[in-house]
Amino acid sequence: MQIQRTGDAALVAELGTFATQQENATWQADDMYGNMTYWFRLDTPALLYPAAVALKAKGARLTMVSACRRDTVGTSGRYISYHFALKGIVYTLRVTLTDTEDSTPSITPIFANADWHEREMIELYGIHVTGQPNDNRLFLDEKLDAGLLEGAVPLSVMMNGACTTDLWERVLNGREDGEEKK
Amino acid sequence: MSGTKTFSMPLGPVHVALEEPVYFNLTVEGEIVRKTHLTSGHVHRGMEALAMRRNIFQNATLVERVCSLCSNSHSFTYAMVVENALCMHIPERARYLRVIAEETKRIASHLFNTAIQAHIIGFHSLFMHVMEVRELMQDMKETVYGNRMNIAANCVGGAKQDINLKKQEYILKQLELIEPQIREIQDIYANDPMVHTRTYGLGLLPVDDAIALGVVGPVARGSGITDDCRKDSPYAAYGDLDFNVITETGCCAWSRVQVRLRECYESLSLIRQCIDRMPEGDIRAPLGKLTVNSAVARTEAPRGEVFYFIRTNGTDVPERLKWRVPSYMNWEALSVMMKDCNVADVALITNSIDPCVSCTER
Repeated sequence: MQIQRTGDAALVAELGTFATQQENATWQADDMYGNMTYWFRLDTPALLYPAAVALKAKGARLTMVSACRRDTVGTSGRYISYHFALKGIVYTLRVTLTDTEDSTPSITPIFANADWHEREMIELYGIHVTGQPNDNRLFLDEKLDAGLLEGAVPLSVMMNGACTTDLWERVLNGREDGEEKK
Repeated sequence: MSGTKTFSMPLGPVHVALEEPVYFNLTVEGEIVRKTHLTSGHVHRGMEALAMRRNIFQNATLVERVCSLCSNSHSFTYAMVVENALCMHIPERARYLRVIAEETKRIASHLFNTAIQAHIIGFHSLFMHVMEVRELMQDMKETVYGNRMNIAANCVGGAKQDINLKKQEYILKQLELIEPQIREIQDIYANDPMVHTRTYGLGLLPVDDAIALGVVGPVARGSGITDDCRKDSPYAAYGDLDFNVITETGCCAWSRVQVRLRECYESLSLIRQCIDRMPEGDIRAPLGKLTVNSAVARTEAPRGEVFYFIRTNGTDVPERLKWRVPSYMNWEALSVMMKDCNVADVALITNSIDPCVSCTER
């Protein structure tokens, strides 16, 4: 008989309080082996810090942070997923970056192993992480701009430049974005 | 003479412990390392970006090439994360076949790291001996799966190939051959004066630091942390099999190697149990429905926990596929392990976390 492994009920309730304002803000799912996973979409990135404090207090371990490229998410907004493990159960906190809230707080002061994940987000995706204590480069050379890969045009798009409009739309969009920032 | 002068010493990016590029900037005081700064990124291949341009079947081939030593763990975890996103259930026989492949790779990987330790110490006859013993596992992979490293044992929905009775008999025969040799190797690494003197008490990672840094795999278990995905959140057939989580409390390079070698016995037992208990039946399940969904999966690779995240958007190309390899969590522990060590020990300590640069940089 398959045993279902569920999470800490008190922790699930506490994390739920950070995700109450949005529709379908929390959900859970189990795999074919009965291991439950819990998902929380936080109301604002600022709530990440207190939610991480709650996880740390229970003894959770940060397992991974998943950022995504702006061009892959369409209209759903650019989200970052923070995955934690506690006694074999995975808890995921998801924050969405918006035009008004385009940065996420650093949780390195709480989870020391968040350091590499956050520096990777800064360097490869150009995401602002406020309060990140380590300003040394991890992967990219100091001479290169942060978020460089965010603006890269794939070779396949480049090579099809003569027969599709994709390349030129990217170039024009990039220019318009740049002008807006100015 | 007042005060001692420190100076900066670059080490790498090639041949620090393995033939993979990682760059250390060491702050040294004479022969003693006071501070370690690490820079990576020399072999970034953009594999996560590639994964978002391939369909879910093509990605199984791609992720197996993230790393060679734990290649099977990547295709295994990737298959699991897709199956979770598509709410699939794989056949029971496939669950056992997956464990056989994973544990075979684990033995080969652990022996490789153990051999490299002997090489760094300068004990070359031991290095050659361990590599020769490892060849038994390499032969086994080649005979059963057709390849020595990327064995392509997993696919979304189950296992790619079955293992018939004749091959099962061959596997059992190979295990009979290798077991006494691993016992002999473990004894050498535990008691040989040369190995013991060089590794015991070296590269200390106290349990509090191990918890704070979130290290995984034999690095964590060598510091006494009982963390193993196969037990914590059982997957494939691990929930139905008997095995122990191996830990050591020495927190040093010696302890980490002992964890790896003792884990080989558990792997041998797991493979035997699988062959004994594996039911007949299908080895693949049909694909589930592609919807908008997010899922995670984790497995215990030879170096520790591998973690995958997928977000599907209803098409056969993932909107996001992200993975985190065990080495990614273990690199930072080197700054603790190398504190106040001799410069001559840097390579040996680096090897003790069984690092993988190609995994880390993807």
